[in-house]
Amino acid sequence: MTAAFSSPSQSARRMRHSRRSIAPWLYIAPAALTFLVWIYWPLFDALWLSFHQWNMLPRAPVKFVGWSNYANIFALPKFWQALRNTGIYVIGLLPLAVIVPLAVAIYTNDLSGRFRNVYRAIIFVPMIIAPVVAASVWRWVLDPDYGVLNGLLKSAGIAPIQFLTDPDIAIWAIVFITGWKLIGFSTLILSAANANINPALVEAARMDGASRWEIIRDIRLPLLSSTILFLVMITTLLGAQWSFSYIVVLTQGGPLGSTTNIFHILWDFGFSSMSVGWSSAAAIILFLGFGVLAFSLMRLADRYSFHDN
Amino acid sequence: MAHLNLSGLKKSYDGKQVVHGIDMEILEGEFIVIVGPSGCGKSTLLRMIAGLEDISGGELLIDGQCMNDVEPSQRGCAMVFQNYALYPHMTVRQNIGYPLKVARIPKADIQRRVEAVAATLALTDYLDRRPAQLSGGQRQRVAMGRAIVREPGVFLFDEPLSNLDAKLRVDMRIEIRRLHRRLKATSIFVTHDQVEAMTLADRLIVMNGGRIAQIGTPAEVYARPASTFVASFMGAPAMNLFEAATLNERCVKLKNCEDWVTEAGFRLPPAGHGVTVGIRPEDVAISLNGKGLAARIELIEELGGSRVAYCSRGALACAAMLPRDIDFSEDQTVFLNFPASAIHLFDQEGARFQEDKSNNDGNSAQADKSFYTGVKDALAVMTGTE
Ligand SMILES: Nc1ncnc2c1ncn2[C@@H]1O[C@H](COP(=O)(O)OP(=O)(O)OP(=O)(O)O)[C@@H](O)[C@H]1O
Ligand SMILES: [Mg+2]
Repeated sequence: MTAAFSSPSQSARRMRHSRRSIAPWLYIAPAALTFLVWIYWPLFDALWLSFHQWNMLPRAPVKFVGWSNYANIFALPKFWQALRNTGIYVIGLLPLAVIVPLAVAIYTNDLSGRFRNVYRAIIFVPMIIAPVVAASVWRWVLDPDYGVLNGLLKSAGIAPIQFLTDPDIAIWAIVFITGWKLIGFSTLILSAANANINPALVEAARMDGASRWEIIRDIRLPLLSSTILFLVMITTLLGAQWSFSYIVVLTQGGPLGSTTNIFHILWDFGFSSMSVGWSSAAAIILFLGFGVLAFSLMRLADRYSFHDN
Repeated sequence: MAHLNLSGLKKSYDGKQVVHGIDMEILEGEFIVIVGPSGCGKSTLLRMIAGLEDISGGELLIDGQCMNDVEPSQRGCAMVFQNYALYPHMTVRQNIGYPLKVARIPKADIQRRVEAVAATLALTDYLDRRPAQLSGGQRQRVAMGRAIVREPGVFLFDEPLSNLDAKLRVDMRIEIRRLHRRLKATSIFVTHDQVEAMTLADRLIVMNGGRIAQIGTPAEVYARPASTFVASFMGAPAMNLFEAATLNERCVKLKNCEDWVTEAGFRLPPAGHGVTVGIRPEDVAISLNGKGLAARIELIEELGGSRVAYCSRGALACAAMLPRDIDFSEDQTVFLNFPASAIHLFDQEGARFQEDKSNNDGNSAQADKSFYTGVKDALAVMTGTE
């Protein structure tokens, strides 16, 4: 009797229960599928490819080669040069992507309405220009024979500079252009964070007798630290990537590989030399390297984030 | 300790004036409370004194020196903010020590002074915590500590207790009072809580619409409100205010209540002038015995220590404190009597009539007589018969 009564209700409950346990999965399914298709599948595919040799032709055989792709890459001077250049890009970009915007954001905070709009226009215009357009414009500006910049130098009596063809200078020219493009974005983020600081804290510091500089050092910078770390993090992780379009348009990695970086070399392996195994191996190395970097920066960011009331 | 002189202090934002010329003198060691409704310019006035807002007109003297264009830190004022404004990235120790640190005081001295202040505020156990790890009351005390540690001449408080719960508020109120007695620093305290205002103040400044409505000790302001605004703002439940008109130099008659005439000890304008009659609920004598103004109790509010009856008679509404010893119930008919000594009279602009002293003294024997007399009696007074 009891069994006859209880079993239908139990099965109904079980059904309801199972329906309920499916629902959350259905909700996250679209996002999870997108992740799977666009992130995890390519990632694992790249991992798999990095142990194989293949020239991307559909009919060509895919040959397992073990660790030899990795060994070859590590043996390649061009790879080490690209790695070193990546470091230069990141370190060169940090002042332009973080320090200059920080100063601009703090010192323009107190500007009155009209001036603030003017400065915003000046700062933000580079951000909204398409990278390839910007690169083409800079090519004109930096042209050794007809460029505006060399024209100015010439009129000042200085010998023209081979901005994009001198191996010692070209990388800095690209760093500068990438940074110039970034300043607006960083200033925007930092201005927002700065404006978000409770004005009463600054007033309290004024009452406490802090000077302008002490207010910046003791109040603003510590409270901006998590935003600053965020910018350092994305500049470190993505800086080399952002310079990619300028490298492609302006120097193609040259002269003598002096402006290539890890992203450009990846693309070069994959699409110029069609050696998909090599480029996958390089991509995996990149992924792991930046993963470690991202993890440690995130730990730092956690440590330095304060909650303002 | 410092004394302040404000003369004609004005503030306008983009041509719109919000503080209209404040004149006052604040003595050394005085505890001044500025009270007023929201938006009346209390904070603005305080911030002008602090130096956080520019002064648009007038002059601010602290210890005789003009401070109009002096940096906030140089004015010798310390401020406690409404939301405390504690530095979230610093520990309690660093928060309290910050004014000393920027003043370049040696580390050992800072340590000693911070610990002394923490001890007086019972914060010793929390010195190494961040503000986020403290309760509201503890944060409040840290904010006080940061103000005290500099030993300033003037303390400025902008509604420092309004974020606390009722009990903590009372505790902190007493603590602030005790602290003031010990430190004797001139203090200016802004609030819109009238209990805080009454209990803390040596002198009270009631503000309305950017102007001072009244300055005086809490007792004075309560006993002799300078205007209908002050009368209705100070005191809970608020003073009863009735529209009335003068019958002659000695009598006024309530509107909406034709058959009652009142005799006031004030020098009144001639007959026909509109006036406002005020009486505090605790001064209204309420009884069941059939003498006085008949009214119905609409609602009784239990306040624990006391009960308030909201009575009405036609369009006339009157709140009255109920005596504890008699049982009243809603919908009951009661009789209200207004003792003459408790009556306040205001003119049409809302300003208080000055009591007619000679008349008052002459009538002092009558002072505890009921304020209301019947029409017949009033007519008798008017015509001088009887
Ligand atoms: N920065 C500003 N710009 C323009 N008007 C302002 C500014 N600050 C305050 N006001 C105006 O000045 C008036 C007084 O404001 P204030 O903050 O002094 O009021 P308050 O008495 O402190 O009120 P509350 O009790 O709500 O704190 C208000 O009408 C307000 O709108
Ligand atoms: Mg205010």
